[in-house]
Parts: sequence; C-alpha cells; structure tokens
Amino acid sequence: MSSNGDHWLKEQRTTAAKPLRELRLLAPLTGILVVAQAWLLAYVIDAVTFQDAGLDDVLPVMLALLPVFLLRFGANWRSARLGFEASLRVKQDVRSRLFAKLRRIGPVALHNERSGDLATRLVDGVEALDGYFARYVPAMILMSAAPLVILLAVFPSDWISGLVLILTAPLVPLFMTLIGKGAERRNQAQWEELTRMGSHFLNVLQTLATRKAFNASRRELHNIARISDAFRHSTMSVLRLAFLTSAVLEFFVAISIALIAVFIGFRLLDGEMAFFYGFFVLLLAPEFYLPLRNFGVQNHARMEAAAAAGQLASILERTEAPASDGEGESQEFHGAIVLRDVHFAYEAGREALSGLELRFEPGEHVAIVGPSGAGKTTLANLLLGFVQPDRGEILVGNTKLGAANSTAWRRQIGWIPQRAHLFHASVIDNIRLGAPDASLNLVLEAAEAAHALGFIDALPQGLDTLVGDGGHGLSGGQSQRIAIARALVRGTPWLLLDEPSAHLDSESERLITDTLQRLSGKRSIISIAHRLQTVRNADRIVVLQAGKVVQEGRFADLSECAGPFRDLLQAGREITP
Amino acid sequence: MIRRLYRIYRPHLGWLLLGTLLALITLLANVGLLALSGWFITSMAVAGVAGASINYFTPAAIIRGLAMARTAGRYGERVITHEATFRLIADLRVWFYRGVEPLAPAALSRYRSGELLNHLQKDIDRLDAVYLRIAMPILVALISILLFTLFVASYDPYLAMLHLGFLLTAGLFLPLWVDRLARRSGREQVRLTGELRTRAVDTIQGMAELVACEADQRQASLFQRGNSDLLRQQDRVHSIQSLAESAQGLLAHLALWCILLIGIPLLRGTLLSPPDLAMLALFTLASFEAVVPLPAALGLLGETGEAARRLFRIVDTPPAVSEPAHPRLPPEQGDIRFQDVSLDYGEGRPALNGIDLELPAGSRTVLLGASGSGKTSIVNLLMRFWDPVAGNIRFGGIDLREFNSEHWRSRVTLVSQHTQLVSGTLRDNLRLAAPDASESELLAACRQAQILEFVESLPAGLDTWLGETGSKVSGGQARRIAIARALLKPGPLLLLDEPSEGLDRHTEQQLLSSLEPLMAGRTVLLITHRPLPLSGIDQTLTLEQGRLLTAQAS
Repeated sequence: MSSNGDHWLKEQRTTAAKPLRELRLLAPLTGILVVAQAWLLAYVIDAVTFQDAGLDDVLPVMLALLPVFLLRFGANWRSARLGFEASLRVKQDVRSRLFAKLRRIGPVALHNERSGDLATRLVDGVEALDGYFARYVPAMILMSAAPLVILLAVFPSDWISGLVLILTAPLVPLFMTLIGKGAERRNQAQWEELTRMGSHFLNVLQTLATRKAFNASRRELHNIARISDAFRHSTMSVLRLAFLTSAVLEFFVAISIALIAVFIGFRLLDGEMAFFYGFFVLLLAPEFYLPLRNFGVQNHARMEAAAAAGQLASILERTEAPASDGEGESQEFHGAIVLRDVHFAYEAGREALSGLELRFEPGEHVAIVGPSGAGKTTLANLLLGFVQPDRGEILVGNTKLGAANSTAWRRQIGWIPQRAHLFHASVIDNIRLGAPDASLNLVLEAAEAAHALGFIDALPQGLDTLVGDGGHGLSGGQSQRIAIARALVRGTPWLLLDEPSAHLDSESERLITDTLQRLSGKRSIISIAHRLQTVRNADRIVVLQAGKVVQEGRFADLSECAGPFRDLLQAGREITP
Repeated sequence: MIRRLYRIYRPHLGWLLLGTLLALITLLANVGLLALSGWFITSMAVAGVAGASINYFTPAAIIRGLAMARTAGRYGERVITHEATFRLIADLRVWFYRGVEPLAPAALSRYRSGELLNHLQKDIDRLDAVYLRIAMPILVALISILLFTLFVASYDPYLAMLHLGFLLTAGLFLPLWVDRLARRSGREQVRLTGELRTRAVDTIQGMAELVACEADQRQASLFQRGNSDLLRQQDRVHSIQSLAESAQGLLAHLALWCILLIGIPLLRGTLLSPPDLAMLALFTLASFEAVVPLPAALGLLGETGEAARRLFRIVDTPPAVSEPAHPRLPPEQGDIRFQDVSLDYGEGRPALNGIDLELPAGSRTVLLGASGSGKTSIVNLLMRFWDPVAGNIRFGGIDLREFNSEHWRSRVTLVSQHTQLVSGTLRDNLRLAAPDASESELLAACRQAQILEFVESLPAGLDTWLGETGSKVSGGQARRIAIARALLKPGPLLLLDEPSEGLDRHTEQQLLSSLEPLMAGRTVLLITHRPLPLSGIDQTLTLEQGRLLTAQAS
C-alpha cells in the first residue's frame, strides 16, 4: 500500500507546482549563503590569528556577515513557508475532491460505510499529507542542491576533504534505502500493533459496564499490563535494530567529520595547507551532511504520509453512482408513478427486484409490506433516484425517470427515513434542510403538524437550539418528528415514508401515526411498513416478496382471504398479542 | 499535579535518568567534537607556522573518541528513552484503569460515545509523551546550558553572560513569546478541526437526506468554508512557528558574531589564544543544539497539563457505590423487595421515585415502560452500579448495601440491549462469564443459545476474533452470543433489559425461544417498552416517569 501511496503523493505535486518551483530556486541559494558565511568567518579567524589583524581591520568583513545572516534567516523562513504552502494547496485540493467523491459515491453505497472511519480519513488522513509536502519534499529539494554547492566550494580549497565528502555522501541515501526497505515493513506492522493496543484499551473502557456485570473487570487489569508489556518487548526488538542501522549512518558522518579535521590538522602542521582553507572546509563539513541527515529524518514523515495517502487514493478510486446533475431531460412530472418490469441488483447475480410492476396514483395512500429482503428498501431507493433500474423503467406521467432528471424529480417527493439524521445545526435549519427559504410561519406550521412544536418550545433556545452531534440531545421520537417537519415544509406532492416510527416508544409512535393519518388525502403517500398495525388506513396494500408484487388490495380484503398477507399478519400477531 | 505525575513515573526513575544522562552525553560530545576540531586545526596551524612541536596525539584521539561517543550515546539514548517510555505507557494505562474501574459505569456514563472516549485516549497519549517530549529536553537543556556557561566563564565571564543571554533568548523567551502569539490560533485550530470532523460525519451519515432534500450543494459549501477556515488558521500558526524556528538560527549566528566582536580584542591582551577563539566560535554555533527542542517542549506544557488535570478529575470522582466494611454473603436464594426506592442522578428530576416492588424467588415479572421512564435505573440498582438515594432494596431480607458488590453481582445475570461483545475471540467473550469453563461447557452454552451452528460454520470456530478489528457478526448473532455467555454464569436472578430491541420480528422470535433455558429456575425480570411473548409471566408492571403505575396479576 505504501508504494501505491508514494505514487499517488507524487501525482499530487502538480497541485503545488508554484511553491515547489520557488523552493527549488531557494535551495542552491541556501547553499551559496552557507558557503559565503563560512568564507567570511574563515577570513576573520585567519586574519586575526595569522595576519595580525585587529578588530578595526576585520570590521568590514564582520559587517558583511550581518546581511548574510539575515539572508540565511530569510531563506530558511521562506523555505519553511513555501513547503507549508505547498501542503496547504494539496490539502485544500484533496479534501474538496474527497468531498465531491462522497457525493458521487452516493447515499446507497455510503450507507454501509463506517462513517467515523471515513470522516477520520477526510480530516486527519488529509492532515497527514503535511509530513510529505511540508517536510519530506522540502528536505529532498534542499538535499538535491545545497550539498552540491558546498562540494563545489570545498573541492578547489582542499580536494582531499572533497574526496572524503564525495565518498561518504552516497552512503547516506544508500543506508536510507537499506533501512527503508526492511524497516518500512516492520514499521508498518509496528504501527498497526500500536493501534491495536490503543483500540484494545479503548474497547476495555467502552465495555467496562459489561465486564463489570460479569465481575470480569478487575481481571482485565492484569491483561492490560500484559498486553502493554508484550508490546514493549516486540517493539523494542524492532527498534533496537532500526536504531542500530541509523547509528551506523550517524557514525559514518561523525567519523568523516573527525577524519577531515584530523587530516587538515596534520597538513597544517606540516605547512602543506593554508589555515584559511582548512578552517573554511571544517566549517562546511557539518553543513554538507546536515541536509542529508535531515532528509533521513523526514523519510519517516514520508512513510506515514504514504500510508495515509494510500487510504485516500482508495477512496478516490471507488466506483460512483450515476451523475444526477444533468438538466437535459424532461422535468414535467404530472400523473401517476408507473414501474414497468423493473430489475435491480446491488451485486451481479443477486437481484433485489426482479420484474416489479407497480402503479401509484396521485392522491392515493399505498402501503408496501413484505418480509425483510423482499425489496422494500430497494424500491424506496429507486423512487428517490438514489439508484437506477438495471432493466425496465419508472415513469411519472409521460416522463421517464433517470439519473439526469433525478434531482428535479426529488423536488416532487418528500422522504421520511426510518432513522432520521439530525445535522449539527439549529432545529430550524434542520427543518429547513430542503427548503432554505421557507418562512418562519411555514416552519412553525410543519412543526405543529409533526407534533414537534411542543418539545421544541421546551428546548433552551427553542427553534435556535443547536442539535446533532455536540448539540442538545434529542430522543429518537423527537428526531423523527423533526424529520417529518423537514419533509412537510418542502410541500412536495408525493411523500415517501420508510416506516418512520419503527424503533420508537408507543407515545411517539402514536403521535407520528396521527400526523400521517391527517396528511392522508392531502398528499400522495407511499409508505413502507415493516409492521402491519400501521397499514390499516392505507387505500391499497402492496405485498412484495422476492422482488416481485405477490398481492395487492385493501386491508379488509387481504386479511380475509388466504395468501401472503395473511401469513405475514399471523406471523406478526404471534409476537404482538 | 506534578507531584502526582511524578509518583506514577517514580518506579522507572532509573530508566528515565539514564536516558536523560545519555542524551546529555550525546549533546556534549557533539558540541565538543566541533569545538575541539576548531581548536585542533588552529593549534596545528599555529604550530606549523611557528615550526614548534605539538602533542597532537591526545586531541586527535579525543576527536575520534567524541565522534564515537556521539554515535554510541545517540544509540543508547534512543533505546533507553524508548524503553522507558513504553514502560510508562504500560504503567499509565494500568494506573488509569485501576482508578477508573471502581467508578464504572456510573462515572464513565458520559463517555459512552466513541468521540469522548477518543478524547480520553488522546489525553492518555499526551501523558505518554511527557518524558520524551517535555521533561527530558528541558532537563537536558537546563544542565547543558549551565555547563556551557561555566565553560565559557572559565575564559571570560562577559563572554559567558553574553552567550547565556543568547541561549536563554532562543530557548526560553522566544518560545514563550511564540506560545503567547500562537495560543489563541492553536485553540481555534483544534476547534475548527473538530467542527470539520462533525461536518464530515454529518455528510456521510446524512447523505441520503442531503440528496433527497437537494441540500448537498449547500453542505458542500459549508464543508469548503470550514476547510478554508481551518487551513487559514493553520497557516497563521505555522507562520509564527516557522519564524521562531528560523530566528533560533539567526540568534546562534548573532551570538557567534558578538563572541567574535568581544573576543578579537582579547587576543591582543593575551587573555585568549587564537585556538581558543576558533574553538569558542565553533562552540557557540554548536551549543544552540541544546535549545532546539525547547519551543516544542514548552508548547506542549499547556495542553499536557490540561490533559493531566482532566484525567485526575476522572480518577478522583468518588465511586457511586461504597463497599461495606464487613460485607455479608448474599444467600443462594431469596425474594427481592424494593421499599420506597428513589434514585437521582442529579439531573433535575429523580430517575426513580418511591418504587415499591416485589420479585418473589422463581417468579417472572415484566416491567413495561417507555424510554426515559426509569427502566434502565432499575437495572442500575439491581446490578449495584448505583445505590438508591432513599429507600432500600433487600434480597432475602438483607439490604443489598450490606453485600460486597462483586459478591452480589455473582448472583445476578444481565442480558441487555447494551450488552456488548468485547474485542477478543469468541472464546474470550464467553469466558468473561466463566473464566474456567471447559470447551464442552462453552459449546453446550452455544447450543442452548442456538448459536452453535453459526460457531461451527466459522473457519476459526471459537477462536474467531470479534469486535472492531475482527469479523462482524449480525445483531441477532451478537445477542445470542451474549445469551450463551449469560448461560455460563449461574445465579438466581436474571435481568432481561430489552433483550430483543433492534432485531427484526423473525430474529426476535428465535431469540426469545433461546432464552427459555436461561430463564428456567431463576427469578426473571423482563424490562421492555412493548409486550413480548414470554410464557409463564406472574406479574406485569408499568413504569412511567420514575413511578410504578399499576400492579396487576396476569
């Protein structure tokens, strides 16, 4: 996954081309400034030591050092800023692409997703790109230029030291890759283990009540100590080796600086070399290795970023639901909804709907029933245009529904899901989700009709109370009533209900059923029912089984004669006396 | 607070000090290597020009020795400090668990959601890093700055003062100034990140509603705005932090410059020899390595302190249940009797109010109530997760508070909608109830809970890993695993808290039939919001807003 992530990261560099170009220009300049500073310093030390110069004599050179210092400071700061700017641009771009991707993946595929995981990638996963763009890439750019400039200055001054540098320099990246190859994999495994250890501890805390119920909570203390200890042992055995390889590398750097110093010393003693050049080279030697060593450190940042990048790339490569923003198709939706021979399968070979024939008249209240797996939810997904039929067609009047006009069609059909999602926003904004310009009166009317006004008034800030994650907690029944108000305020001629009271206590259920009964007749209602008590008042009941319609009719008629509906009814009665 | 942290760290003090010592040696070797190299080549040049002889063996050997000391020191430091940190990580978790376990679930009830638990985990992670990122760099910097100053003072006290001034500016004043400038932006950054995460979760969970309501475009611009706000704030923080980082380099250079400015005239007075000056120049540059990690360390101080305070506050919460000094052993069998029992979580209105309830030994009782009526509070009391604020609950005539709560819980078996599978193997989950159960006992429990067929269909059988990192089981299967687990635990009292909630009708029916062996011969209390078809029910009671409504035999 990591090499895949590396490749993807490389592709993203185009987004940050401009700051990266400037960084590439700054890198040799940094090298030149390092050389200039060493030159001036060596000159001062040489002059006061061997040329018998006083402070007054070297003052002009001393003063010349000050702008060099300032320029180095400026170049450093600018480099750091450019790297960060590159990262900001990529983060902005990747995040908006990921977000757009979520919309294209579509609600049906997202439904089975672990939302916490995906959100973490969208937020923290993208932040991890900092490691690559703000740290690794700038270090790489600096490494590719500054040491070269320094080498060019060292060689004419002292070719022996130049040789030492040039011979040891390739060792650094060589060792990096040697360490990288093996350590990367082990590192990855280690990180996974760390995450597992962290999640074990988290899980222990989360399930503490259950453990306590079995008097098993104190036993766990021993386990935590044992797992942490095992983790320490396994990690340290890996780290000891990883540290050793990088120690060998450090050793080479330290020894070659020492070698250069000692070689220069002896030649100075023998008078084979001028002090100025010796000191100049000595000042440059650590500066030569600095970008190389820094690159090695940032290599770790690259590995972490690549792991995150691999996950981001896999999200961006997901298959998409058909686009729904086309405006070309007809948008006239008058008349009945007709499904003709509709087939649909989520995965090849397993049809959820196979040849569905159905008709919904305007003004009618139709209930869809059937055992779980009969295709009720799929029917809802099709009616909402979340998915398109594999075969067959859905017509509204004379207009065929398709991906291109599904956005326009959804303006005609309100939807109340089984478990409504409340957004992190005020109650009023949650109600106005589908009608942002709805007047206060309209909102109040809808809330009243949904039996929501009572509890909204009791909230600390009424309609302006913040709900959703991190906001005021509402019960399941209250959330559902807000969802009903949300659907009502749009004033759509069609309403699709996905058993909105399935998981609620009897009081909430009563209130919701009452709301829906009063709506019947005013709007065309299609209601999916998992429980049969709620279908008595429907004008017509459609029984689905294995993706087909198997029975249709009024409650009284269906419950009289033998058939699938009566079977369902009896199965239900056993559980609910 | 520091003293309490210290007490947690004290068992590993040896490791911690050894790591610090090695870090100090590495730093000193590094600075020494550069400084001595400068002195060495200048001395050699001076001797070469003068034609004098010089003992070059010793300095050359020291230079090589320092190079090796640096390498060995760095390696040792990394091994030892990581070893120490992992030991701390283990101890911190054990310490926190030991503090929190007696409080559960009462004091932890706020932490049920994953988000809050994540915060908790982050707080513990922050304490993990105290030694490696805060204590050690600060300690090493303090000692080395002291040593450096003494060293320079041996040449010239003024130079020493100057050097110290620059080091303190780069290591202390600059970081403190940056911290003050960036603190508000940093806090804002944390807030904006959390908000962006909420928006992302909202979008993923609510995508169907967003699309159905044609609100996805608006949500996109909200997300985009949140993203831009966050990146802008990050940019602000980074501009200050990177400025300070570069300024550290500038300060090192300026220190060098000032040393030269003062040092050069000293050459004339023979107070300082040329090799000393070259050495001091390089020494000054290298010595700033000591203060490089300080901005990060000082920046972490604030948030780490807050994390420690939060964790201490949790650990310091008084437990909701206190154990008796001389506990009595609960009898094997007995009637349960609630007498005028009230419970109050301190949330404004009492959760239970004047409950009188009798569960004769071996009887089956159904307790009906809507959500919020106080059903869960009855469970909390019977499990002794909480004690009543008024009235008492007796088992066989003895107040539950006279029992040790673990002894009491060994008499009670709970199957609840909140019962979770713990992350571990299926076997681990079953053994939670009976650590010494044999293989055949485990399989027998699975058969009774009607889950044996499923278990046998798994490739790894009982060793299948469950939970977040393991394979997924459906809600019905998870519930039946919980029942198998409950079957392994003997005890006269069985609490069923919405055992089939969230399951579809068909699964519910199967589940209820697998409950039969569990109920045989026990006192059963079934808590539910709607009637369930259970056989042999002796009484049905209704709970509403913390009060018992009717008592009717059925």
